[in-house]
Amino acid sequence: MKLKKGFVLRVVGGESVVVPVGELSKTFHGMINLNETGAFLWKFFTEEHTVEEGVVALCAEYDVSPEQAEKDVRKFVETLQANGFAE
Amino acid sequence: MIYDIAGLRINIENRCSYTDNFCKAYLSKDQTSPVDLTTRVTMEEFLAEKETSEGFSDGYIENICLYRNICKQIPTLNRLLLHAAILEYDGNGYAFLGRSGTGKSTHTQLWLNYLSKTRMINGDKPILQATDKGFLAYGTPWMGKENLGCNASIPLKGLCFLEQAPENSIRKLIPSEVSARLFAQILLPQDEANAVATLDLVDRLIMYTPAYLLRCNISEEAVQTSFEEMTGLAYETARKNKGE
Repeated sequence: MKLKKGFVLRVVGGESVVVPVGELSKTFHGMINLNETGAFLWKFFTEEHTVEEGVVALCAEYDVSPEQAEKDVRKFVETLQANGFAE
Repeated sequence: MIYDIAGLRINIENRCSYTDNFCKAYLSKDQTSPVDLTTRVTMEEFLAEKETSEGFSDGYIENICLYRNICKQIPTLNRLLLHAAILEYDGNGYAFLGRSGTGKSTHTQLWLNYLSKTRMINGDKPILQATDKGFLAYGTPWMGKENLGCNASIPLKGLCFLEQAPENSIRKLIPSEVSARLFAQILLPQDEANAVATLDLVDRLIMYTPAYLLRCNISEEAVQTSFEEMTGLAYETARKNKGE
């Protein structure tokens, strides 16, 4: 799983937001709001990684059980794929 | 021709004469020194705008496109278009924001009616500049249907988001509430450098400028509510005398 190129993530008013730029902004409109784990995973998946690698990274960064982390990462990846954000 | 707008030297290459007259109060005395940016409208942009603005003259349509193109290029020059009305009270600027139809022009007109030392800097589309002391708000030739505003700049001291309500009340907004509301009132350029600069400018605007939610009716008390909360001054000291 890897995110498409052409999104930028920025912290605005303490909140993480993602917007499409360049070519991508012609097909995607609007912006995406991310919570803290969402922003962490977004950055993680700007490089090619598997769900399993995402779970390991999330557990290393946050105080979360492997079961919960796997649920979170799967849900995150599914949302990205369903919206066409993945390569 | 070269114009001085929002502290920038802007070369506007218009085809229709509409813009010459529209921007004449901003014409630069210096038509030879280098400029900060140049703008013109492509046929593609013109035709796209013509489709959405049926019934308007070609000059009017080109003029809208020119400002949009300017505003897409200025974030990397530390400036941001804000869809808002900027009022001055006694040397300080206050921005009033809201979706169209929420009573922005009604509320700002009440300020102009009731308060002394007040004028409109820009009624619709001011440009803000980030400085190390906070933001400056500039009047520009583009100032909305009512054409209220002037060629001036002023330190921005507050952002006031409007909602209609039967009773008047005002409260301070926290940063996460401000960002969601501000994003509805800005232009997000498509090129990466200007998009990133826009997000960073919005972040700075939230950090530097107190923001409020005003729920208001159209009474004089509505003016007192927003004025006292944003300026920290007593309304009676600022109110016009009868007949003024």
